[in-house]
Amino acid sequence: MPLLKTIRLTKQFGGLVAIDDLDMEVKESSIHSVIGPNGAGKTTLFNCITGFYKPEMGEIDLMGHSLVGLLPDQIVRLGVARTYQNIRLFPALTALENILVGYHTHLKSRFLGIVLGTPHTRREEKEAEEEGLKLLRFVNLAGSGDQLAKNLPYGAQRRLEIARAMATKPKVLLLDEPAAGMNPKESQEMIDFIRHLRDELGITIILIEHQMKVVMGISETVTVLDYGRKIAEGTPSEIQNNPKVIEAYLGSGSAAEAGVTAAG
Amino acid sequence: MVQQEIQRSPWRSALNIGLIGAVALVLLSLIGMVEVFNKRDIVYKILSMGQILLLGTTVFIAYLAAKRGGEDMPAKTIGLAVIAGLTAAAGLALLVAVGKLVNLRDVLINASPVLFMILTFHQGPALGIPLLLLTGMLCGLAAALIYLAPKVISRSLVGALVTVAAAGVLQDTLRPVIGLWGPVSKINRLLFAANGLKVSGAVVLFVLMVVILALWNSKADAVKTRFDSLPAGRQRGLRLGGWLLLAFILLILPHLLGLFLSEVLTIVGLYILLGLGLNIVIGFAGLLDLGYVAFFAVGSYVVAILTSPELGFFNLGFWSALPIVVVAGVLAGLILGVPVLKMRGDYLAIATLGFGEIIRIVVLSDWLRPWIGGAQGIQEIPNITLAGYTFSTPQEIYYFILAGCLLVGFISWRLRDSRLGRAWMAVREDEDVAQAMGINLVATKLMAFATGAGFSALSGAIFATKIGSVYPHSFNIIVSINIVCLIIVGGMGSIPGVIVGSFALVGLPELLREFAEYRMLVYGAALVAMMLLKPEGLWPDVKRRRELHIEENDETDEPAAEPAAAGS
Repeated sequence: MPLLKTIRLTKQFGGLVAIDDLDMEVKESSIHSVIGPNGAGKTTLFNCITGFYKPEMGEIDLMGHSLVGLLPDQIVRLGVARTYQNIRLFPALTALENILVGYHTHLKSRFLGIVLGTPHTRREEKEAEEEGLKLLRFVNLAGSGDQLAKNLPYGAQRRLEIARAMATKPKVLLLDEPAAGMNPKESQEMIDFIRHLRDELGITIILIEHQMKVVMGISETVTVLDYGRKIAEGTPSEIQNNPKVIEAYLGSGSAAEAGVTAAG
Repeated sequence: MVQQEIQRSPWRSALNIGLIGAVALVLLSLIGMVEVFNKRDIVYKILSMGQILLLGTTVFIAYLAAKRGGEDMPAKTIGLAVIAGLTAAAGLALLVAVGKLVNLRDVLINASPVLFMILTFHQGPALGIPLLLLTGMLCGLAAALIYLAPKVISRSLVGALVTVAAAGVLQDTLRPVIGLWGPVSKINRLLFAANGLKVSGAVVLFVLMVVILALWNSKADAVKTRFDSLPAGRQRGLRLGGWLLLAFILLILPHLLGLFLSEVLTIVGLYILLGLGLNIVIGFAGLLDLGYVAFFAVGSYVVAILTSPELGFFNLGFWSALPIVVVAGVLAGLILGVPVLKMRGDYLAIATLGFGEIIRIVVLSDWLRPWIGGAQGIQEIPNITLAGYTFSTPQEIYYFILAGCLLVGFISWRLRDSRLGRAWMAVREDEDVAQAMGINLVATKLMAFATGAGFSALSGAIFATKIGSVYPHSFNIIVSINIVCLIIVGGMGSIPGVIVGSFALVGLPELLREFAEYRMLVYGAALVAMMLLKPEGLWPDVKRRRELHIEENDETDEPAAEPAAAGS
């Protein structure tokens, strides 16, 4: 049984069909990549799943709950967290505070309890801070907790953003180009890290990525979008040899030759 | 060609800075500021406030030019500063020369003979103009030396000079206050002449301040290191001692300061209360609310309606009215909050601005006149009484406002480092992402509006009982703008910043009432300077060091820390 699926999902912007009749199933504890040329509708798909956009048609289903029409904060409570293509941390908050914001839904303190400093509030804060520090260590940022997010180096910001998403304790984690702008060594570290996430914590991961090395290295399933339509789906090796995919990436005409190169 | 534009020669920029300085000096003279300020002597018969204004401006301008030189090239630095100082002074010299040839007074009424006397050191233009230019060069030299001197020395000297100038400017405030202090009041005779400081007094004060500041500047780090190396118990003891001392000073303050300054303190205190409330809305949650005075009005009017025997509706006491006032404030906050939930940035600012005006116009209207008095307002609001004791003079009301500030400051501080405070700051930083982290935007924003409005209403209630009456015109848009400014000047989101901002933007103008004519001008100039030089504010928010703090707790005195923390 899939953890998350979309059924005939369609999202339009005026006349432009950004996602066209998309059926997709994501298995539990898998790493599922979504690839496609620029403007294929990958990020739009993420925005639909997380409630930033409301699709015109179709259904998004998380373990029997429909996500369509819910607000982003309701969806994250159901266990869907995400990162952004262009990193969107809270720049003027510290690294640890960024993570603590992620814990928001798991903390129960209310106004009065906070002002009075009740034992419950204190305990809860302390536990959250300790868990936050653990997460910082997990993403290799131990010791940077008190730095402002905007002062962290690029790679650290990427990892902090993932840690913040992890703090919401998601079942599904949507990563939007986590290896963008990284050199081969950093990309490899990111691949290891994502695999580690899934293996250690059993989180299902949906990945948008342009670097084929990353995609082919870690995905169990790859879905290929072009102009909002699904043109192929399968294991990395199936996708690499699929002529439709090659055509979408390189344009028609070059399909035959490219197919040969990819196969060889 | 392109390179030339990018790497403009420092001599060119020194000249440009000097020209800007010249324009500033001429402007200060022609708007009459120099002449008005000149009536007050800083050092009796030697140095007037008007001269300080001109000298200070010139030194500042020359300092900016000196910075282009760099510390490793002293000759160049001095040259640049002198050029800037000379250019600035040349502006004034030109004004004097033109004033001699043409009667400027037909157009510029402040170009009076007195002004030219001041500008030429009472020597006439022939001798005055060379003197003026020489002074400009000396200002440049002084600025360069300040820039080149070791930081400890330059900071101490500048600090001491500023203290002497401040003592002279605030003489009318200081003299009566020092006069209250029994035997210590002898200082007055040592320090002050009929108008301004005595020469001996000024010198003594200057030397004393240089010594104190030099000690402070050079030893502060050493003291801090020693404090950090003390055992945890001693540290806690010393901190507690510090807090007790502060509490003691706060308690006896109105008796040290006398009636007038206590009155100023109460006004500053009310603005601190208001500022802390708006700081939650603007500083924490980033919602630019320009109609904040509305809640202040709600608080004032509700307390007036509930307690004033003139109206005779309820005749409640202050204490029974207070919870109703705060609830009314919170409700008003929610009423404003709901329609503007979807708005961001400038749109929110304009909508809230409108809300502030609506409240003022509603209380002014004839329609509600039978109940809340229209333009005549409501009088006879009784004083606050507590356990048979009436708070009526500023010195007594001070305690009440102090208690309010402490309470509201404490609540702000607790909220800042909590789930709620973090949610507010997340909304401020990036609303969409905050929502994607599970933050309910509606609840979080409404909470910010409601909390801020509650504090504002509390402040309004105290204001109404302090004055004893309420009028619609007290709730002008300027009050809102003032509070926004003091938050920005103090430092967005910073609790101590609100306090510093209130003293700087509300307290200081109260003390300098005789120059009220120039209040808005100085205010505007100060804001612009602030945004350019120190945009983070006078006392910016310092992030709590959690990571170290937690590890410290884990390792050392976990059981000991718990009861101490619970007691606070």
